[in-house]
Amino acid sequence: MRSPSVELTARSQRLVIFSLIAIGLGFLIVVQLRSQAAVARTLAAQDDTSVALLINDLNRANNQLIQQNAVLAEQQTQLQKALTSGGADSQALSKELTTLREVNGAIAVHGPGLEIRIQGPVMDFELQDALNNLRNAGAEAISLNGYRIIGSTPVVSRGDILMVAGHAVRTPLVMLVIGDAEQLGPAADLSASSLQTRVQVSIQRQDDLAITEVVTPRPVIYAQLGK
Amino acid sequence: MTVLASVSLATFLVAGLAATQFRSQPLPPSNRLARDEALRKSVNQLEDQNRALKARVQTLQADVKAGEDETARRSSAAQEVKAQLDEQKTFAGLTALHGPGLTVLLHDGTDPNSPVDHSLGWTIHYQDLQDIVNVLWASGAEAIAVNGQRIVPSTAFHYAGVNILVNNASRLSGPYTVIAVGDPPALANGVGNPDQLAELKSRNRIYGLGFSWLRSTRLSVPAYDATFLVKYAQPIG
Repeated sequence: MRSPSVELTARSQRLVIFSLIAIGLGFLIVVQLRSQAAVARTLAAQDDTSVALLINDLNRANNQLIQQNAVLAEQQTQLQKALTSGGADSQALSKELTTLREVNGAIAVHGPGLEIRIQGPVMDFELQDALNNLRNAGAEAISLNGYRIIGSTPVVSRGDILMVAGHAVRTPLVMLVIGDAEQLGPAADLSASSLQTRVQVSIQRQDDLAITEVVTPRPVIYAQLGK
Repeated sequence: MTVLASVSLATFLVAGLAATQFRSQPLPPSNRLARDEALRKSVNQLEDQNRALKARVQTLQADVKAGEDETARRSSAAQEVKAQLDEQKTFAGLTALHGPGLTVLLHDGTDPNSPVDHSLGWTIHYQDLQDIVNVLWASGAEAIAVNGQRIVPSTAFHYAGVNILVNNASRLSGPYTVIAVGDPPALANGVGNPDQLAELKSRNRIYGLGFSWLRSTRLSVPAYDATFLVKYAQPIG
């Protein structure tokens, strides 16, 4: 049996110890919460995602430009070789002409890609978004319900009717896209994910698609060559 | 015994919190700055490389054109192909053009700083540029450029984080100038049509987002600063 004075001293010591621990705990909890908020603010200010995505896009674009340089250098070598030997290589010109006709939608083409079926009405901005995503993924030729779509093809909604190059296109919409299916797939999935809340979308990879429709170039009336 | 147990439990809790605290400590400012600097440096280096590669493409394009001109001078067959090639280059945006047209100007509006409006409707999005370009094509534009970047068959607008990119990762930043060569009244009617660009016009009223257009008798658009690669599409026949 301890004396009352000893009991009082022990109780005081316990109180001091618990008070110190409580202060320490309180301090640490506050610092903990504040430092977590600071981490969040710092990350938001840095916007690492934006910078990382930009780096990724720049790397991809630079690789494309390196390939473009290689193709042009080869073309120049071929032309120069013929000229040096006193001849003229019209094959090099024909090859470039074919590439540009493909790009401008002026000739029928075939190749691997995707067949996208959309069962339900789509607005002009939804189709524009899809086309934009597919072009960004390297789409080389696109058609929709038998109409070839190129960069300058207007897509507009007139009420509930979707108009492509002035022609009404009705559901089901069948889009053929030629390009690298590995790259096109995620772009098509992205567009489908926003459409699938109200319409049915199916995407199928194809080893060989044919796009036979061509675009007649619009006459140039106002624009003139040169800066 | 009770005191010992209490102290042990409290010490355990303090140690746990101290450990958590240590793990969640933000990077020291020097590390954070170094990381930011490294990321920015990477972007700068890649953009320098991008510009250099585009300049190289343009030099090679000029060399190829000189070779094609000389080839056409020497052969009548090549001359015929060259005429078609020049026409296709014009359609594809590989030549600079000028003529009458319309200039569309866009800039961000005012952030309402509203706790209930997180829509970012006061900023220009890549979809706005895409929509304007689409309306201009539909209104008969013959050539279009956005902030000096020619719109070509392969052009796609997209976001890389907060950056709007177009044509081989060229960054676009506001204010935005869209130039279209074509019939000025037809282009102005297209953009001014109340049924077109309705959402953009509504944001113009709500957030003071800049959206105006101006007819001109002479505008110019530059040539595309790169070329086209076709790897998968093959001609039929």
